[in-house]
Amino acid sequence: MRKKELKLVVTFHTTADAMAMEKACKEKKAEGRLIPVPREISAGCGLAWCAPLECREALKEVMSSVGIQEEEMHECMV
Amino acid sequence: MNFADSKKKLAVAGVICGLVAACLAYFGNPANMAFCIACFIRDMAGSLGMHQAAVVQYARPEIIGLVLGAFIISIATKEYRSTAGSSPMIRFVLGMIIMIGSLVFLGCPLRMVIRMSAGDLNAWVALIGFVGGVATGAFALKKGFSLGRAHETNKANGAVLPALMVAVLILLTCTSLLKFSEAGPGSMHAPIIMSLIGGLIFGAVAQKSRMCFAGGIRDVILMKNFDLLTIIGGLFVVMLVFNVATGKFVVGFNTPGIIAHSEHLWNILGMYAVGFAAVLAGGCPLRQLILAGQGSSDSAVTVMGLFVGAALCHNLGLASSGTAVNAETKELVLGAASANGKIAVIICIVVLFIIGFTCKRESAK
Repeated sequence: MRKKELKLVVTFHTTADAMAMEKACKEKKAEGRLIPVPREISAGCGLAWCAPLECREALKEVMSSVGIQEEEMHECMV
Repeated sequence: MNFADSKKKLAVAGVICGLVAACLAYFGNPANMAFCIACFIRDMAGSLGMHQAAVVQYARPEIIGLVLGAFIISIATKEYRSTAGSSPMIRFVLGMIIMIGSLVFLGCPLRMVIRMSAGDLNAWVALIGFVGGVATGAFALKKGFSLGRAHETNKANGAVLPALMVAVLILLTCTSLLKFSEAGPGSMHAPIIMSLIGGLIFGAVAQKSRMCFAGGIRDVILMKNFDLLTIIGGLFVVMLVFNVATGKFVVGFNTPGIIAHSEHLWNILGMYAVGFAAVLAGGCPLRQLILAGQGSSDSAVTVMGLFVGAALCHNLGLASSGTAVNAETKELVLGAASANGKIAVIICIVVLFIIGFTCKRESAK
């Protein structure tokens, strides 16, 4: 079982934005993976991007380069 | 209780919901139906006079309880958010399609799992279609499918469906205005107070755990995440134990009395449409009720689509018939999908492909 660590979790307004984020991160070789939005963040059932804390700026660059707007950025145990 | 911080707790959530379903089946709900969202909404539509099928008319308190349970727990835990504006009419159509597919198969994804736990092999066949539908929906998501974002709205807007449910509860308990089946599945039910409390518990637990049958498979396909599927596993195990213990576990295809048919192709295609539509709409029928309870008007519109779809199914002869024993001749009469139902399912699948692969995120077009 994976040990929980403090991670950066980026949430989006739509599932499609999360899927676009996955595609963009793969193309630009940015770190992270798609996860269900952690329950402590939302009662919704969307997808979020989870990455190490130090990737915050790199992810912001990826999002601005492909026109994805995040809903929020959280730091939580994942 | 936070169900989501471990798989064990998620399984407990499934067990609680399974116990509720088992109790309601034991105390009078139709055998092998126990807690079916599609069937119960269909019964409620009948009780409101939206269709005239005399054997399936009853304002099921479970549906009222589900919405109110989610509403109350989301208010209590400050998770209530009144939102709207994500392609409501497309969601309405998706709701209709979910109901048409469900009533051709004869059950929503929740009842499919309950039927599977009772040994009904038709439900296991239908699971192939459901997984295929969810996979197609997940593929559409990967290709950029989107219905657009929802926005915050006036708080009262999200409370309209819960308020309507309270109104139906008042009509059910204080008046004789609603229609009520005197025979058939609609006449079989647990006591009203038990059904209502069962619905409230189920709704609250489903809200906290985010239980979703389509979402469970979607998450496995997209992220290899088994959290939501764990809940379904807990529910399945409880219902399996209940069915074995009460002698209701019968392995077979043409089992009379369980409201099912054995036309495999149409069981598969019916649940294919349900799985596909549920992923596009962002949740199975149960999840739509829960999301509507916690303030999503988009999901409330989907629920309205479920009601209209149910009315259409019985007014236009789209619903399938279940295998039964003829009371006079004692012969087994096989259930079947109707010709109208078959045509409707094909149209629904075509519409789903159009919606799934044309409604895209702006930059994905």
